[in-house]
Amino acid sequence: MAVKSESKVATTLEVPKHSQLINFDEIKAELRPRMREWKNSLGLIRENWTALLGIFMVLFILLMALFAPVLAPQQSNGDPMQIPRDLELPKPPFQEGVPLLGTGGNGIDIYYGVVWGARTTVVTSLYVVLTAALIGLVLGGLAGYYGGKVDEVIMRFTDIFLSMPALILAMAIASILTKSLENMMFALIIVWWPSYARLIRGQVLSVRENTYVEAARAIGSKRNRILFKHIIPNSISPLIVSITLDLGAVALVSASLSYIGFGVGPGYAEWGRMISDGQRWFLSSVSFNGVSYTPWWALVFPGVALLIFTMGCSLIGDGLRDILDPRSRRG
Amino acid sequence: MRLSRYILRRLLLVIPVLLGVSIFIFALTRLTGDPVSAYVNEKMTSAQIEQVREQYHLNDPLPQQFLYWLEGIVQGDWGWSRTAAMPVTDAIQYYFPATFELAVVAILIGVVVGIFLGTRSAIKKNKPFDHATRIISLIGVSIPVFWLGLLLLQIFYGELNMFPIKGRVSESYIISGTMPNGPSGFYLIDSLAAGNLVLFGDVLWHLVLPAVTLAFGSIAVILRMQRNSMLEVLSLDYIKTARAKGLDESTVINKHARRNAMIPTTTVVGLSFGSLLGGAVLTESIFSWPGLGRWSASSITRMDSASILGFCLLVAFIYVMVNLIVDVLYAYLDPRVRLG
Repeated sequence: MAVKSESKVATTLEVPKHSQLINFDEIKAELRPRMREWKNSLGLIRENWTALLGIFMVLFILLMALFAPVLAPQQSNGDPMQIPRDLELPKPPFQEGVPLLGTGGNGIDIYYGVVWGARTTVVTSLYVVLTAALIGLVLGGLAGYYGGKVDEVIMRFTDIFLSMPALILAMAIASILTKSLENMMFALIIVWWPSYARLIRGQVLSVRENTYVEAARAIGSKRNRILFKHIIPNSISPLIVSITLDLGAVALVSASLSYIGFGVGPGYAEWGRMISDGQRWFLSSVSFNGVSYTPWWALVFPGVALLIFTMGCSLIGDGLRDILDPRSRRG
Repeated sequence: MRLSRYILRRLLLVIPVLLGVSIFIFALTRLTGDPVSAYVNEKMTSAQIEQVREQYHLNDPLPQQFLYWLEGIVQGDWGWSRTAAMPVTDAIQYYFPATFELAVVAILIGVVVGIFLGTRSAIKKNKPFDHATRIISLIGVSIPVFWLGLLLLQIFYGELNMFPIKGRVSESYIISGTMPNGPSGFYLIDSLAAGNLVLFGDVLWHLVLPAVTLAFGSIAVILRMQRNSMLEVLSLDYIKTARAKGLDESTVINKHARRNAMIPTTTVVGLSFGSLLGGAVLTESIFSWPGLGRWSASSITRMDSASILGFCLLVAFIYVMVNLIVDVLYAYLDPRVRLG
C-alpha cells in the first residue's frame, strides 16, 4: 500500500511544472486566505439580520426583474417596456376583471409596470454604478499611485463635479441631451465617477504605505503590477460598500429625474415615470362598480417597489460596512 | 495655523473650483446646439438674432467666448429664461426668496430634530428608542422625496384635510393683494414685521408639509452623524471624569457631551444643504411652491437650457459657499482642524 501511494506521488511529480498552462496549486494557495475571508464574511452576514433583510428585499426586486416575462407576460408584440393600457379611467386593484394592482392614468396596467419597471431600475443602477466605479477605479488608482501632476489634474476634475448636488448636476448634463434612458444613464455616470475616484485614491494612498507593497517593490515588481495586483485588491472593501449603497442612491436619483421629466416618456415601465403619470389622477375620484375611489394605487405601488429596492441596498451596504472592515469586527 | 490664515487659504482654494464649475457650465451651454438660443425670445427677427450673435461674440473662438461669457456672468447677464419670460438673473431674484425660506425652515427642522434624536439614541443605545430612530433614518435615506411629498399630500390634504395643497399663502390673500410684502421676501418675517399674526399663521400652515418633506432626508443624515459622534464622545475620558466628580447625568450629557458631539455634525449640515437644494426641485413641483426648484423643473419640460444651467450655476455657487462657511465654522469650533 505504502509503496503504491509513493509511486503515485512520484508520477505526479515527474510532470514538469512549466508544462502546465495554469498552475492551479499556486492559484489555490493564493486564493485560500481570500476564500476563507469571504466565507467568514458570509457567516457574519447570516448573523446580521438587518443585512439579511436587505438581501431579501434586493433579491425580491432582482427576481422580479429577471422573471418579468413570466410574471407579467407581454400581451402584444412590440416594446415590452411600454405598459399595456386600455385608455379608460383608473380602476382599483384586487377587483374582478381588473389587473391585479389596478390601472392608472390612460388605463395603464400597474402590475405590469411595477414588474417590468424592476428591470429598468436594476439595469440602470447596475450599469451606472459599475461603469462609474470602473472609471473611478482606474482614474483614482492612477491618481493615488502616481501622484504629482496626474493626481492634481484628476482631483481638480473631481472637485468640480463634487461641488454640485447629484440631482442638480445630472439635471445640468441631461438638459443638453435629448430625453432618453441612455442619455440619463450617461449623465448619471458623469455624476457618479468622481466619488469613486476620490475613494480609491484615498485607499491607494493609505494602502501603498504598507510593508507588503514595499516588499513587492523591493523584489522588483513593475509599478502597474503592484498597482493592480497588490494595491487595488486590498482597497476593494470600501468600494464594495459604496457600490451597494450607490445602487440605491442611483435608483433614487434616476427615478427623480424620470419623475421631473428627463429620461423616459409617458407609459414606459419606470417607477418614477409611473408615479408622475399616476399623479394626474391623484386626489381626484373615480367610480368603479358604483363605488367611488381615490386612485392611490397608481402612486403607491411603484413607490413601494422603489422603496424596497433602495432600502434593501441601504441595509446591505450598512451591513457590509461592518462586516468587510476587519477592524470594526474585532472591536 | 491661525484661524485667519486658515480662512484665507480655504478662500483661495474656492477660486479654482468656482472657475472649474464656470468652465463646465460654459461648456454645456456651447454643447446645447446653438448658444444663441439662450439669449433670444420668440418674437425676435433673424436680423435681431444675428445682432444678438454679434453682441455676445458668438462668432469668436471659444476661449474668447468663455471670457465674454464669464464677464456677462459677473455682470449679471445669465441669458434669457423662456420659462419665466424674463432674464435669468431677474427670474432668480424673483424666485429665490421662496426657495430660501423653505430651505432654511427645512434645515432648521433637520438640525433640531436630527440632533435631538441622534443624541437620545446614542444615550439609549440598543434600546427600543435607538431601534426606532434607526428605522426613521433608514427610511429617510431610502424614500424618494417626491413620493413622500405625494403621500403626505394624500394623507394630510386628501384624507384629513389638515394642510393646504399648494402655494405659500392662501389664494384669498393673493387675490386681494394682501400677501406679505416686505423687503426680506421671507413671508414669515414679513408677515410678522407687519404685525399680521393671522397672515403669519397662514404662511406657517402652508410651510409645514413642504418643509417636512424636504427636511426628512436631512433629519436622517444629521441623526446618524450625531448618534455616531455622540457615542464616540461618550466613550472619552473627560466624560468619565465629569461623571466621577459627581455631576448629574443631564449636565454631563447637555453641557459636556452633546456640545462636543455636535461639532462633526456641522459638516453634514453643509452637505445636506446641497441635497436640500436638489430636493427643492422635487418638493416645489409637488407643492406648487413658487420658487427656483419649480421654475427649473418647468424649464425642463420646455427644454429651456438657459434657465436650467443658470439654476445649476447658482446652486453650485451656493453649495461651494455653504461648504466653505461650514469648514471655517468647523475650524473655529474644533481647533485641532487648523493644526492639520
